[in-house]
Amino acid sequence: MKRLILEMGTGTDLYGGDYTKAACRAVRDAIGHSSLSLFRSCGYNHRDMVVRVTIGVQDPDAVDAARVAESLPRGNPQVTVVHGGLNIEGDAQDTPTIIASAAVEAFLEVDAEGWAISGSADG
Amino acid sequence: MAKTRMALEIGMGTSLRKGDYTRAAVRAVQDAVWRNSISFAEAFGFEKSDMLIDVEIGVQKPDAVDGAEVKAVLPYGNGGVRVVRGGLDIPKPDGDGVTILANAAIVISFDMERRTDTAGAGMEDKAVSP
Repeated sequence: MKRLILEMGTGTDLYGGDYTKAACRAVRDAIGHSSLSLFRSCGYNHRDMVVRVTIGVQDPDAVDAARVAESLPRGNPQVTVVHGGLNIEGDAQDTPTIIASAAVEAFLEVDAEGWAISGSADG
Repeated sequence: MAKTRMALEIGMGTSLRKGDYTRAAVRAVQDAVWRNSISFAEAFGFEKSDMLIDVEIGVQKPDAVDGAEVKAVLPYGNGGVRVVRGGLDIPKPDGDGVTILANAAIVISFDMERRTDTAGAGMEDKAVSP
């Protein structure tokens, strides 16, 4: 399996203190700024893609990893939650402002020997 | 199959006070490029220099964007910069100038083809349209 792409994003829950919500928004931010056209262009199948998600928040136990996994459209993602992200404490509210970091990695079995740059000597 | 699109990256950049369309475009390209780490060259056994990177910028005043400066942001790859009318200008509340928002789309391609020998023939069976 070769890694095709690492997508990064951040998400927040500003007032609700909901780490899962912040994590889902971070995933949305990570995956929403790119599109892997190569599945269509090169004839690969999305179902062969493996997706790994790593979430960083200050309270990893408070994240519902299954809900984060459901927020991705495909790839049967494996979600790991680690200590990270950032909390901003403030006097004006009971809960901290939560920032979650997300890393979404997509892997695919690529038959590299089956492809060549057009016009290259070994192509 | 020649020029083959592999990915699209999307970014946004602004110039809040200086009214600089090039700066907003540069930031939009940076936002698009540095959100993702793409490993297609490694995965397919190509050189990074084989990558074709085409940049499309949308701003309200396309003529005010210095394409060479936008292109200089990219770490490697050949390709062009196209600037079209788009993005968004938001008038300031005091009526003195605008805040500029630039949209950037970056298309990553390779000029690639299937080898005609038997090496990759096994994968043809899996070539199902998603």
